[in-house]
Amino acid sequence: MKEIRNFSIIAHIDHGKSTLADRMIQLCGEISDREFKNQLLDSMDIERERGITIKSQTICLPYKARNGKVYSLNLVDTPGHVDFSYEVSRALSSCEGALLLIDAAQGIEAQTLANLYLAMENDLDIIPVINKIDLPSAEPERVALQIEDDLGMDPETIQLCSAKTGQGVEDILEAIVNFLPAPVGDPNGELQALIFDANYDSFRGTIISCRIINGKIRAGDTIIFMSNNAEYRVEEVGLFKFRREAQKELSAGQVGYILAGVKTVSDTRPGDTITLKDQPCAEALPGFKEVQQVVFSSIYPITTDDYAGLATALEKLQLNDAALIFQKDSSAALGFGFRCGFLGLLHLEVIQERLEREFDIPLILTVPSVKYNFFLNDGTELIVDNPAYFPDPIKIQRVEEPYIKATILIPERYMGAIMTLCMERRGENTKYHYPMPGRIEFSCELPLAEVIYDFYDKLKSITQGYGSFDYELYDYRKSDLVKLDILVNGELVDALSQLVHRKNARSRGLHACEQLKKEIPRQMFKIAIQAAIGGTIVGRTTISALRKDVTAKCYGGDISRKRKLLEKQKAGKKRMKTVGNVEIPQKAFLSVLKSEQ
Amino acid sequence: MQINTVGPGCLAGQLPNLNRCGTVTHDEGDRNCYNTIKRIACYEISLDKLMSCLYIHIPFCLQKCAYCSFVSFGGREELFGRYVATLCREAEQTAARAAHTPLSTLFFGGGTPSLLPAASISKIIDCCHDLLGFTSGIEISLEANPGTIDYAKLAELRRAGVNRLSIGVQSFDDHELHRLGRAHNGEQALTTVRHARKAGFDNLSLDLMSGLPGQSADAWRRNLEQALALNPEHLSCYQLTIEEDTPFGRLQNQGLLELPHEDAIVAMDEITHTLCPAAGLERYEISNFARPGQECRHNLNYWHNRPYLALGAGAVSYDTKRRQRRLSDPQRYCELMESGDSIVIDEENLGTEASFRETIIMGLRLIQGVSINELQHRFHLNPGSYYGETLDRLISRNLLIIEQDRLRLTPHGLTFANRVMAELV
Ligand SMILES: Nc1nc2c(ncn2[C@@H]2O[C@H](COP(=O)(O)OP(=O)(O)OP(=O)(O)O)[C@@H](O)[C@H]2O)c(=O)[nH]1
Ligand code: SF4
Ligand code: SF4
Ligand SMILES: [Mg+2]
Repeated sequence: MKEIRNFSIIAHIDHGKSTLADRMIQLCGEISDREFKNQLLDSMDIERERGITIKSQTICLPYKARNGKVYSLNLVDTPGHVDFSYEVSRALSSCEGALLLIDAAQGIEAQTLANLYLAMENDLDIIPVINKIDLPSAEPERVALQIEDDLGMDPETIQLCSAKTGQGVEDILEAIVNFLPAPVGDPNGELQALIFDANYDSFRGTIISCRIINGKIRAGDTIIFMSNNAEYRVEEVGLFKFRREAQKELSAGQVGYILAGVKTVSDTRPGDTITLKDQPCAEALPGFKEVQQVVFSSIYPITTDDYAGLATALEKLQLNDAALIFQKDSSAALGFGFRCGFLGLLHLEVIQERLEREFDIPLILTVPSVKYNFFLNDGTELIVDNPAYFPDPIKIQRVEEPYIKATILIPERYMGAIMTLCMERRGENTKYHYPMPGRIEFSCELPLAEVIYDFYDKLKSITQGYGSFDYELYDYRKSDLVKLDILVNGELVDALSQLVHRKNARSRGLHACEQLKKEIPRQMFKIAIQAAIGGTIVGRTTISALRKDVTAKCYGGDISRKRKLLEKQKAGKKRMKTVGNVEIPQKAFLSVLKSEQ
Repeated sequence: MQINTVGPGCLAGQLPNLNRCGTVTHDEGDRNCYNTIKRIACYEISLDKLMSCLYIHIPFCLQKCAYCSFVSFGGREELFGRYVATLCREAEQTAARAAHTPLSTLFFGGGTPSLLPAASISKIIDCCHDLLGFTSGIEISLEANPGTIDYAKLAELRRAGVNRLSIGVQSFDDHELHRLGRAHNGEQALTTVRHARKAGFDNLSLDLMSGLPGQSADAWRRNLEQALALNPEHLSCYQLTIEEDTPFGRLQNQGLLELPHEDAIVAMDEITHTLCPAAGLERYEISNFARPGQECRHNLNYWHNRPYLALGAGAVSYDTKRRQRRLSDPQRYCELMESGDSIVIDEENLGTEASFRETIIMGLRLIQGVSINELQHRFHLNPGSYYGETLDRLISRNLLIIEQDRLRLTPHGLTFANRVMAELV
């Protein structure tokens, strides 16, 4: 156990976590050059396409240190985006230490701080690492000062590296071995294994990722899940090498996987404790903090036949993404579906894409909403996160909406623009200070609903990418809400309804009309799009009728080419939902919340 | 080979007696049929099992036009001789390998076939004749571009057996031609037509293009009127389609290509659909017009999704099972043929259902549509039961219509053909 180190790499988005992981994997010789590719641990297509990490990913590396001993390093690469901080916190629960990566050119950003706090909550030892020192714009000395002054960390412990060139990476491995603690725990005690992640495999059942806190586990053992007493026989245990690698046993301090033929998806719950049936431990581990879903949207299959498939898909996906919640829902326009809760808009998009890619179900997501508290005249209290359940306005005594406290880090020159943005978004109680010369930390209380509405995109574009942002839920405050409906050719499309502040209703309505006009392709007839509040039209646009769609080109004998073009057109149609007789593309449903690009 | 004589103007009669009127079971068999529709219908059935159409690709042009995505290369004259010899070699191979009957159509497409010396064309025709055989009424078409062909060459081609000339006029307006990057002017087009007539071509087709950058509906009308004044037997009116990887494609991506507004395009189509019939040219395919009886038989074969042979770089052949595409580069084509290696770079094998759907898509391009009986015969599938509700919906939206045995696009459906076909593909 003395030769084990469990650590996470944490940082703000894009500061180079996955690239550093690559270098470590290569240094430890865990993988042949032929199999290697950049950001190796970003194994999902969607991660590779977007160039960001979405899932925490564990890999166990053998490292021969300068002191001659061989260590078993368990590295966890984590995501940097604010929507996936739940991934980070679960990953941290399997570790004793963390590398806090900071981009030498960008310096400390909002998620640098947020992730540092997470690591501190988990009592981890932290090694600060300044990355990207190869960049011409790198300012390692300045960043080192920030680390000392702003984070209050010992400058002696700072490591410098370039994850790109590999410079300094070996020194980091040495620091991990020398400064991070080995796990503690009793290999001979009763088994306590913390489930921190899981994945469903159609052949082997659930692949349970766990950290063994105490005791040992091996194939043949009978285990129970402490939350529901479900009982299984262990088929295989092992480590996450480049591929899964079976081991004779896992014992205290190790991070690995358990296969026990678990086909009932709901039996495995991240945060739960696994113990042995014959020698159970006295009590379960504390598990994880409940996550707070902040954005809600309904998911409908484009083809109604896919409903049952969607239900199973959501269940399996939830196993791998514990932050997702869902329950049944239905819509006049879209049929049966599920109301889901997400950690943010990016989380929502990722779930949509994963459902489509991993389970091959084309979907429609309705306009996202936050959770409101309605207090009715008759004294009842109603929580509403779905515009469909907006109460009759005359019965409403008052309504409250969630506010967040936002922390925004920006270069000083953008201060004015950010201030304006926050004011437009009904921000209150703005404060700011200068954590370091030239940079401002700006904090502000904002309605959450204003933040999910393209706030992050705006912030990015206003600051040309130099602004970063973090937030936490703060409180509920009185609000004045109306329900904004969208009519397409006179037909109300419930999936496009949203709850908005009365003050913004008109402009949101117009915005929605404009966005839909952009997203809905012209059809053989004219389409009228109207925004309405309680029967009053507040905005309208029309999409003119398409006048022709016919290819008058000579293809000679190359019939396949013509056919393939038509097949492409057909595939595009599959991603559309027909409402009335208008075909609305999938993208249109979310577009009403986005700013024009 | 025995050829029966049947009613005048009979297309099927120009085939060997395999499937002629009276010998096949089709209800339109009529010895004295003068009706285009019937003739085409018979022709369809006659061709069912034959490979009697041959396409020959000539991938050479004077220069590359700005919109062109065809397999064609400017210059490369040094390859002409070798290429012609290689075509003959491939013809030999085809004669030995592919099931075929004597040819009823032969089509030289390009590229610019008229760029080759007449003697070369003549040699290829002879080669095909000797190796594959010709039916007596064979249609031999050749695509010619103005400025590449003079009277002497035309006369020689006519003597060599070419009996249908398709002239790539595109426009009579020099300014438009220049923008398209065409290597000729309007005057040259007129001269070519005059010379062709003089050389004895009584089956002339002109290609025109509408929807050109900067073109107004009036400008289109002038082009069309000029073309009709020449009394062609056949007219193809294509709309400029912008393809990636062409100079026009790149201009469009940069937002520098100003194409006519949709309203203007629709107006152009209306002009076309009024003027052509008035001049005796019936629309028989989405963008093709002909005097009754002078439809392009070679192209009809494509629209009926019947098999065809092919020779040459970039050419595609189809034997009802496999569709094979040959590599595009003429030099590589020659090299591989010479070393006896395969020149096929793409092969597609469609299953019955996919072929059925493809046949419908292609057939709907014809104004008269597809014969349901024939589909039944060929694929043992019926459009009604196969497409079910989709078909009903398209019919109820007045896009498709079934009349007697034929499924076809309505006039409304013809303007939205892609939409309809995308549902059926
Ligand atoms: N010049 C330079 N670029 C680097 C270095 N490390 C990472 N990068 C680049 O920075 C970008 C982001 O790197 P990633 O490793 O994906 O960053 P990440 O922290 O894993 O990002 P998320 O997972 O999305 O939070 C990539 O384009 C890398 O090539 C470095 O040391 N020097
Ligand atoms: S019905 Fe067919 S075969 Fe008979 S004469 Fe007419 S075209 Fe010829
Ligand atoms: S003449 Fe025809 S084939 Fe040749 S470049 Fe022009 S468009 Fe292309
Ligand atoms: Mg990453």
